[in-house]
Amino acid sequence: MHIMEGFLPAFWCIVWWIVCLPFLALGFVQLKKMLEHDREALPLLGVTGAFIFILSALKLPSVTGSCSHPTGTGLSTISFGPYITAIIGLIVLLFQALFLAHGGLSVLGANVLSMGIVGPLVGYCVYRALRDTRVNIYLTIFLACALADLFTYVMTSLELALAYPAQVGGIASSFVIFLGIFAVTQIPLAIVEGIILALVFNYIIQLKPDILVRLNVFSQEQITKARSET
Amino acid sequence: MAKKYLLEIIAIIAVFGFVLAFLFTSAVLPGAEFTGSDTAGSSQIAALTGKADTDFAPLIPQYVPPGGEIESALFALQAAVGGIVLGYVFGYWSCQAKCKKAE
Repeated sequence: MHIMEGFLPAFWCIVWWIVCLPFLALGFVQLKKMLEHDREALPLLGVTGAFIFILSALKLPSVTGSCSHPTGTGLSTISFGPYITAIIGLIVLLFQALFLAHGGLSVLGANVLSMGIVGPLVGYCVYRALRDTRVNIYLTIFLACALADLFTYVMTSLELALAYPAQVGGIASSFVIFLGIFAVTQIPLAIVEGIILALVFNYIIQLKPDILVRLNVFSQEQITKARSET
Repeated sequence: MAKKYLLEIIAIIAVFGFVLAFLFTSAVLPGAEFTGSDTAGSSQIAALTGKADTDFAPLIPQYVPPGGEIESALFALQAAVGGIVLGYVFGYWSCQAKCKKAE
């Protein structure tokens, strides 16, 4: 999902930086508050951040004949919300921009917006919509994580379509073209990512259920039910 | 027993399905080079603007790994950092859970 350095006009680089700055500011405030008042949550923050580090480093082949990488942001957005996830996304994307030439500093705002903000925000909305329903916890996790992954790439497509409208069909046509490159490639990866992260969440539920209850990720009853199911 | 490991079974099936999809794609698209979608996206931008890929100069100069091997090593390093944190925390939680049981 990286937009490469130099491939986005300066105007759009600035626009996406401006759009993502309030989210990052809110993320810093929430993270600072958490570090001051809830040190017990730090290991879980480490786990969710570690998954973003690992999964976003894996380039996997897909059905379109090209490669892409999962994002791993679903666990973080479910556990800590989209704002803290934006900060973790910023750290990972900064590492990749500085040392791997994947992305870049001028396009960092655009890349953070897609991987660190819009994807996680969609995942978070899915999780919040399903959390208090009768839908199984693991299905909720699967859908939130898979859609957080997929919509990262939908947002990248939109960013590129806005910057480069097609001569025939304009932004809509260009959006469809970029969706074909980014989002279609991502569908199988998003499904596998959703399943893997649901499995990881199961391990967290088995080993450290109290932290999930304390962070109000799920209620005590839901966690107890999920523990008894597996 | 099967219910206890249902998520693991689904995950294994999904990974196999993913591998099969890759093999199928390799068979029906023999010329597929499996380049990154980032590269494909950049090529599409070049096609839409009528410019060559090389005409897009970085707005802010950046470090580029001198070779594919170095780039792979740095990606591996990134994944390794995540793996170390993951192993440490799960190990820590696992020991905590065992200690609690022993008490």
